[in-house]
Amino acid sequence: MKLDLVHDIQLAYRKLIDSMSRPGTISRFGEQAGAIESRAGCLDTTILLAMVLLDTEVTFKIYSEREEEITRLFNQLTYSKEAEAAYADYIFVLSDADTGQMERAVRSAKTGDLVNPHLSATLIVEAELIANDMHLVLTGPGIKETAGLRVLTDGSWIELRADKNSEYPMGIDMIFVDRKHQAVCIPRTTQIRERVNG
Amino acid sequence: MNIAYNFAFFDEGSKREIRRATLKAIAIPGYQVPFASREMPIARGWGTGGLQLTLSLIGKNDILKVIDQGADESVNAVNIKKLVAKTTGVKTVDDTAEATLIQSRHRIPEIPLHEHQILVLQVPLPEPLRYFEPSEFITKHLHAEKEYSGSWLMLFEQIMKYGNMSTDADHPVMVHDRYVMAPSPIPRFDNPKMDHSDALILLGAGREKKVYAVPPYTKVVSLAFDDYSFEVERFEGACCRLCGAEDVFLDELIQEETGETLHQCNDTSYCISRLNEGSASTTRTAAKIGGVAE
Repeated sequence: MKLDLVHDIQLAYRKLIDSMSRPGTISRFGEQAGAIESRAGCLDTTILLAMVLLDTEVTFKIYSEREEEITRLFNQLTYSKEAEAAYADYIFVLSDADTGQMERAVRSAKTGDLVNPHLSATLIVEAELIANDMHLVLTGPGIKETAGLRVLTDGSWIELRADKNSEYPMGIDMIFVDRKHQAVCIPRTTQIRERVNG
Repeated sequence: MNIAYNFAFFDEGSKREIRRATLKAIAIPGYQVPFASREMPIARGWGTGGLQLTLSLIGKNDILKVIDQGADESVNAVNIKKLVAKTTGVKTVDDTAEATLIQSRHRIPEIPLHEHQILVLQVPLPEPLRYFEPSEFITKHLHAEKEYSGSWLMLFEQIMKYGNMSTDADHPVMVHDRYVMAPSPIPRFDNPKMDHSDALILLGAGREKKVYAVPPYTKVVSLAFDDYSFEVERFEGACCRLCGAEDVFLDELIQEETGETLHQCNDTSYCISRLNEGSASTTRTAAKIGGVAE
């Protein structure tokens, strides 16, 4: 791994900040994720984000066919510990997770409470594709008027997320990553409308 | 003794903790996220919250500007700038437009910020409800229940006593129709700049161990009543004695000997850039006239 733990992580964080503060903005992590070159079975960008976010102070949960293996890897890389989905601070849904697992992840993620809404989970989901088109129309803080987004995943999550975030400020924040080392953030404040054709 | 500090002073674990809190703050605009504020080589209450945010954000390619009450050259700004520059090697500038990261105490620069900039504000008292409720436990619950009658009552009492809202700086704002937030002690003049700002605004309170954020294009409304609207400071008839600027926040300077009141731009880099532009255009005009005369 040729990743610079100070400067590459800082650059990745700044891109993440950019995407989180401007929902729908796709950030490219190719340079940093490319330095990881892992054959662990999850995307390099996912590992990069784990290294930006995880340490001993937070917990995580992996949804994947190779859950045990990836959990061990993340633990070794960051010293962060695994927790049950309902308690985990960061939930990773990898591309080999089945449809049910994606839905289970969203359903079981913690949303914080009204006094401490920051004690909520962030979901990091591996998508097949992320692109800026008007399939999903995003509005809310960080978006000037509207932003267009297409996220191809195995499971359906839009309605489940809307349910989960219905009692703002409680809710979950989501980060989608894809094979092209791209990532996009959808914080709890973002409203999503699916565009109906015809 | 030469001590080799880590890049940006902090160890990576400290940065990571502040970064996690910052991401949460962006996801919940106006909500104060607690964080483990570190001991810093400057005293608490002197911008440690802003400094910690800056250090967690800054990278080798950043261009940093630090201002204190609009001035690039005041002690607080210079010390913070030196600390960050010494531990990172980044370029520091006075020109607002050139900076990618701007740390500020009590002002938002005069020229509009752009989307590739991040503004970090230093906050002494992040809790807008603290003026009437000393308990943190209770203020957290008041925020949870969106119970802001205390804030309204505070402004109402000011109107009863003084005939207007006498908040001066740190006039509370409502962010994204949910949280009442202290915008840090910026003058009321700067409050409207937070509304639908192109740049991300992060606020850090080191002593109080809180970070909060206003993402770009977020609704920020200064608290006011229908019959007593929010008003910014006005300097009618006054202009900067140096550059002649009118629609900016001006400092009042009273001459002790004559008792005369003079006005001057509070934002020093804005004033200097106007003076430089003015002198450049005067030189150009003089050169043209000289050319014609020849």
